[in-house]
This record gives sequence, structure tokens and C-alpha cells, in this order.
Amino acid sequence: MAFFEQHIHEEPKTFLSKYIFSYDHKVIGKQFLWYGIFFLGVGGIMALMIRWTLAFPGEAFPLIGGLLFPTTNGVIPPDTYAMLFTMHGTIMIFYAITPILIGAFGNYLIPLQIGARDMVFPLLNMLSFWIAFVSAAILFISLFIPLGAAAGGWTSYPTLSTLIGSPGAGQTLWALALFLLGISSTMGAVNYITTIIVLRAPGMGYFDMPLSVWGLGLTAILNAIFLPVLGAGLLLLIFDRVFGTTFFLAGAAATSGTGDPILFQHVFWIFGHPEVYILILPAWGIVSDLLSFFSRKPAFGAKATALSMTSITILSTLVYGHHMYTTQMSPLLTQTFMTLTMTISIPSAIFFTNWLGTLWKGSIKFPTPMVFSLGVVFVFGLGGLTGLYLATVTTDLYLHDTYFVVGHFHYTMAASVLLGGYAAIYFWMPKMFGKMLNETLGHIHFWLTFLGLNGVFMGMMIVGYGGMHRRIYNPFVYEFLEKLIPINTFVTWSAIVMGLAQIFFVYNFVYTIFFKKEKAEANPWGVGTLEWTIPSPAPVYNFKEIPVVKCGPHEFGNPALTGDRDFQYQTEEIPAT
Amino acid sequence: MGIFSPVLAATTAVNNSQMGLIEMMAPPEDISVHGNLIDWLFAYTTGMNILFFILVCIGLFGFSWVYRASKHPKAYYTYGNKKPHIMIATAVGLSVFIGVDMNITRIANNDYVNVFTKWPKAEDNPVRVEVLAQQWAWHFRYAGSDGVFNTEDDIVQLNDLRLPIDRKVILQVLSKDVIHSLYFPNARRKVDAIPGRLTRIWWEPTKAGNWDIACAEMCGTYHYRMKAHLTTYSQEDFGDWLAEASDKALQVNDIENPELFWGWQWQW
Ligand code: HEM
Ligand SMILES: [Cu+2]
Ligand SMILES: [Cu+2]
Repeated sequence: MAFFEQHIHEEPKTFLSKYIFSYDHKVIGKQFLWYGIFFLGVGGIMALMIRWTLAFPGEAFPLIGGLLFPTTNGVIPPDTYAMLFTMHGTIMIFYAITPILIGAFGNYLIPLQIGARDMVFPLLNMLSFWIAFVSAAILFISLFIPLGAAAGGWTSYPTLSTLIGSPGAGQTLWALALFLLGISSTMGAVNYITTIIVLRAPGMGYFDMPLSVWGLGLTAILNAIFLPVLGAGLLLLIFDRVFGTTFFLAGAAATSGTGDPILFQHVFWIFGHPEVYILILPAWGIVSDLLSFFSRKPAFGAKATALSMTSITILSTLVYGHHMYTTQMSPLLTQTFMTLTMTISIPSAIFFTNWLGTLWKGSIKFPTPMVFSLGVVFVFGLGGLTGLYLATVTTDLYLHDTYFVVGHFHYTMAASVLLGGYAAIYFWMPKMFGKMLNETLGHIHFWLTFLGLNGVFMGMMIVGYGGMHRRIYNPFVYEFLEKLIPINTFVTWSAIVMGLAQIFFVYNFVYTIFFKKEKAEANPWGVGTLEWTIPSPAPVYNFKEIPVVKCGPHEFGNPALTGDRDFQYQTEEIPAT
Repeated sequence: MGIFSPVLAATTAVNNSQMGLIEMMAPPEDISVHGNLIDWLFAYTTGMNILFFILVCIGLFGFSWVYRASKHPKAYYTYGNKKPHIMIATAVGLSVFIGVDMNITRIANNDYVNVFTKWPKAEDNPVRVEVLAQQWAWHFRYAGSDGVFNTEDDIVQLNDLRLPIDRKVILQVLSKDVIHSLYFPNARRKVDAIPGRLTRIWWEPTKAGNWDIACAEMCGTYHYRMKAHLTTYSQEDFGDWLAEASDKALQVNDIENPELFWGWQWQW
């Protein structure tokens, strides 16, 4: 498939060219992985601060509270609370989950799984990381300036996010940081798409690619199309803030202007709804592969799964209006968006059936990556089904902007994507770092995280149905919410459990990379995709010879196989029966 | 001790609450004629969801258990692309779509068209209220005795809405600064308050009492305190209050103050 010769990279010699300004997709992937894990920690601590405030209003945040909020004796003040949930949402979506799933695994897996020596545009790849780095630095700095960071929610609706609601520079820096990040991700996306099109190994058709690559590729397409839309919205917002334009200002009172604040919501959600699929598609792909790998059975209906993911990608561009029912769009638009949203359930149900079909009559093993994948099936089931209430306009009139929404979207993008990301880390660890993570710690990590997250997100949906609206510093100024104190406390304890569970992961990860001596085998899981045909960790040039692909990625348990392997490599012919 | 005191407070909170879990999870009391439509659809969707989620769990946990490698060492070699396989997947997809989604969509659509956007007309004689949201307060305006808005005899209330039961109320909503959302938990309804764009909401209270109104859309630091009080009266009590408030309005309204005239022509 390659249209040009892929040269063997020379091994970089200096520290700088090897670890910092590296062109190697594997190193860039690892850079994104560290970056994402770092921000996952930051965002996680912010989540705990938010939860602490909700369960124990007026109590000092333990341990670091006094240090961070000296003027209030460690109690989180209301303006800081707003910055915390804004930054938590922004960081988790754009600086933690996106870099881990797309930055790290997109970079690492695409060339290896399609049998290429690197991305098509290595320089673009390096720039993509370093622009993301600059973006993160800007966001980080904004936490420490006068008047503080952005505090209008991750959605940053005008006019709150214009000078009327947010006079500080924090909001401008927020928009600038996301604008830069959009550039970085668009660069990455262009690179991924081109690589998948031109660098597939000879013999590899699109349906011979692992479903992980399908997920990552579809994500890249959405990224390439819709991040520029966000960029446009942010640019106009920056104009309104810095140059005094009035794109999003309207009305006669405090907000005189000839623009329209709702315009921003349209632009934001045209991007925003695909964004949730941008996050979930790689996880779907990875889970579809892992379920097959550990059931030792071909992925059930793999082609249908790939096509379902494709149709969801297309549908995801047509449904964004379900975020805006309460702005009172025209009834016709409202009805159209409701109906279109509902159609997403067809492809979703098909690939759920395929996931379960993969397990059916398998020979299932349960190492850590598999339990995380099964966890994704469970939590995404809950997340997907609870979306129905929000797609339905009448129930949404009650549930919109309550904790029910918060619970729902955490099930889909926090829980599912997080578990999917962990599955990927545990699974590709040997290929990335040449060592295996500890299985016992991995299982403890899974079960505590799983229990904790269900407590958190189920609890959030319950208080949301109880009427508790979101982004509120102290719910208990409302009489009708007083009875929800115990559930809120329970949610917070679950969050603490979930937070503490991550210590098992961090310890396991750091210990394995820096201190563990035992090396992993080339193919510890017994899987036939191309990355497992080369040594662990993968050498700089990936493949000494560009492989020639002769079968699909999920060839397990073919009865005609001779020898003691129950799987075959993608470079092997399917034996004739 | 510092870090344990909240723990103790929490455990006592749980012990002291006499409520059962189910009661605690219930939404706020419904005091509207049509809130039950939303509650019913929520319950219906929940029923469907539980059914389908149980099916997912049977597959997930059941297959994981039955086909674990120690009991089932040899996997069945299939791509799942045989006719029956494809038919099952398609059947599941379509039954979810037609049986659940389209059903819910149809019901929601009926409620939406026949109730929630079926705006009361002048003939229905609804209570008309203009609402102006600002950081962080709600202003409510009644037309007063002349029945015309934005005149000297309007009754203007701060964070204090009073409504009669068994009569429709229609509220036109606007914001002065940022986007807010007028949220009546007890009526299961909300609508955004937007600068430069009128939105509206109507409902009909059924029960007299005292209730909370909240702002549901993030609107700045004190978003959580943007709370108003709703009093629902019997028709007679409402009449008494309105008469009294009209008299008072003529006395207290400072017509020199342009701020008073934030209202607008009522738009049917
Ligand atoms: C440790 C697990 C987590 C906990 C306990 C948690 C908790 C919370 C809480 C309490 C809020 C505030 C909701 C509100 O007031 O409206 C929130 C908001 C949010 N979270 Fe998380 N979260 C977690 C993980 C994640 C992850 C992994 C993501 C990544 C996708 C995420 C994305 C968001 C977003 C987008 C918001 C909305 C922010 C906003 O209102 O502007 N969360 N989370
Ligand atoms: Cu959406
Ligand atoms: Cu408000």
C-alpha cells in the first residue's frame, strides 16, 4: 500500500533528540501518556475538592486545603469552586482523556498495527505534542493570575464568558489554550488519517485493520472536521473579549450588542457532541479488540462493528441540538434533533450485540486488560441507556442542567473512556515499556475503581433525579435538596475510594517502568496483530521488513491450525480446511 | 481531629434522617397538572432501560461465567457473519429502536406538542408574569389593574413569585446580563433566560404551599444562591393578595426611576 519507500530511522543519539524533540511516534505516544496521566491526577484532585465541598460544606479540605486556600482556613470559597469544576471538566476532557486515548494510543498503535515504520509526517507529529505542551502551560498559568482561572464551566457559554461575566484574563487564556490545543489535535488528526490511508502494510485492506485502528481513525476524522469549528467559536469569543466585538452579545440592558449568545451554543455543540464520540470511539475500538483477544475467538461481526462505528460517527454530526432544548429552539428543530438522536441506538445496539456475541462460546480469560474491557461494556451500557432520558425533550426539560446529566456523561466519557484507557495501558504496557504490570495490583485497581465509580456516578444520577441542579457550590440552601445530604456524602466517599484506588495504579506503573527487572516476552498475550510480531519494547524502526498481511486481526481458535498456538499472526495465511 | 469531624457529621446525618432510601431518591413533590407526564415517561424509560440492561448483564456476566477458560477451553470458531448471527444483531438493533426509542419519542412528541408548547391564549385567561433574570436575582412583574405591562401600576416582585392554583400561568422570561435558567423543580420544568431573546414557559399549579425556584444554568459565583420563593395560593387567597399588592404598587412604585420599567409589551 505504501506509495513511497519507508526508510529505517537512525537511532537518535542525544538525550534531547531521543526523549524530548523526538520524531518517533512511539516516543511521542509515551510523552502524551505521561502528559495525560499527570493531568488525570490534577483533574482528579480537583474532582475530590468539588465533591468535598458538596458533602461537607464549610469544612476545610483535608491535608492540602490550608495550603491552597489560606484566606479561608482551607475551606474552598465559591469563586474557587467555579474555577475548580471548570478546570476539572476542561482538563479531564482535553488534557487527560484526549492525550491518553488519542495522543498516546493513537500515536503508538496506528503505525504498529498497520505495519508502518512511523507516521507519515513525523515533524507534524512532534509539533502536535509541543503545541499541546504550550497549551497546557497557558492553562496552568491561568490558575495563578489575578482574578483566577476561567470559571464559566467547560462549556463557557457567553455572555457569562464575555467581559460581562468574566472580567479576568483567565477566560481569555482558557480560550487561547483550547484554541492551541485544537491546532495540535487537528495536526495529529491529519497525520493519523493520512497514515492509515497510505501506510497500511501490503495486503492489509481496511477490514483487516484491528478495530482499535478503526476507532482511532474515525476519531481522527471527527477531530479534523470539528475541532476547527470549536476554534472558530473560540476565536470569536476571544474577539469579543479582547477587541470589543459583539458576536455573542445581545439585548438592551447590560449586554447591548447586535450578536447572539445562542450562536455560540450552536457552534460549541456542533463540535461538542462529536467530541463525546471523539473520546469514546478509540475506547470502543480497543474494547472490541480486547474482548476478542481474551475470548480467544474472532470478534463477532467485526465488519458490522466497524460499520456501526462509522454510522455513529456520521450520526454524531447531526444530533447536537439535544443539548439546547431549554433554549427553546423552534419546535421543529427540537423534534428533529430528538428523533435523530434516537437513531443512534440502532448502531449502538448492534455493536453491543456483537460484543456479547464475541464472549458467547469463547474461552474467556480474565487478565487485567480483559476485566477493564468487561467493565467498559457494563458502564457504557448504563451510560448509553441513561442518555435516552436526555434525548427525550420532555424528560430533559426536568433533567437538563441537573446532576442527572453529570452522572450520565461521566458514565459515558469518564467511566467508559477511563476504563478503556486503563485496559489499553495494561494491555500494551509490555510493547511500550518492555515490562508487564503486576496482575494482582491491576485487579485491585480495577475493582476499587469500578466500585467507586459506580457509587459516584449512580449517586450523581440519583441526586439529579431528586432535582439537584449542577454547578452549585452549596445545594443545601434549597429546602427541597436537604434530604439529599446523605446521598451526596455517599457519592463523596465513593469518589475518595476511587481516588485512592489510583494509588495502586500509579505505584504499579512507576515501579514497573523504573524498577522492575523482569522483561516481557515479545508476545505475552498470544495475539496475532502486527505489533506482536516484533520484539518488546518495539525497536526504533518498528519492522525490520515491512510485513505482508494475509489475514484479519482476530484469527483465534481456527480448528485447522496445527501446532500449539490457538491464534495466528496477521502475516500468516489462514490454513485451508 | 480536623479531618474526622466531617466524617462524624456525615454518619450522624445518615443516622438522623428518618427517611428510607426510596423516599430520599424521590423527586420533589409534583404540584403541577402536567408534571406527571414527565414522571410517567421517566418511569417508563426506566422500566425499558432496566429490562435491556438486565439483558446486557445476563450476556456479560453469564457468558463470562459459563465460557470461562477453565470450563470451556476450546472457543467456537466463528466470525459471527452467518445469516442467523446477522439477523439476531439486526433484530436487537431494530427492536430497541422501534420498541423503545420510537415509542418514547412518540410519547414525548405528543406531550410536547399537545401540552408543553400548547401556549395558553388570551381566552384561557392565564396569569401572565414577566420575568427578568439578573446576577443573582429574579424579578417578577404582574400587569397590575390595567392589564398592561410596563406601566406605573405594575406589581414588581423581587425573588418572590405568587401564583393561584388551578389556573394556568404563562411566564415570559428575559435576562439582563448572562444566561440563567428558570427552574421549577416542583413542576418538573425549566426554561433558559437569555439576554436579547424572549423565552416562555407555562404550567398550572395544583397545590397551595411554599416552594423553591432555582437558577439551573451556571451564571457566575453566586449561581447557587440565585433562589426565589414560590407561594401558591387558593384562588381566593391569590385574589386577596393581588388586590393588596395592586394598591401597594401604586404607592411604592417610583415612576421617576427608569429602572422600574424593565418590562415589555406582552407578546401572545
Ligand atoms: C474521579 C472521578 C471523577 C469525579 C469524582 C468527578 C466529579 C465531578 C463533579 C463533582 C463535577 C461537577 C459537576 C457540576 O457541578 O456540574 C464534574 C464535572 C465534570 N466532569 Fe468529572 N469527575 C470525575 C472524572 C471525570 C473524568 C475522567 C472526566 C473526563 C471526561 C470528567 C469530565 C467532567 C466534565 C466535562 C465536567 C463538567 C464540568 C463543568 O460543569 O463545566 N470527569 N465531575
Ligand atoms: Cu450530545
Ligand atoms: Cu442564574
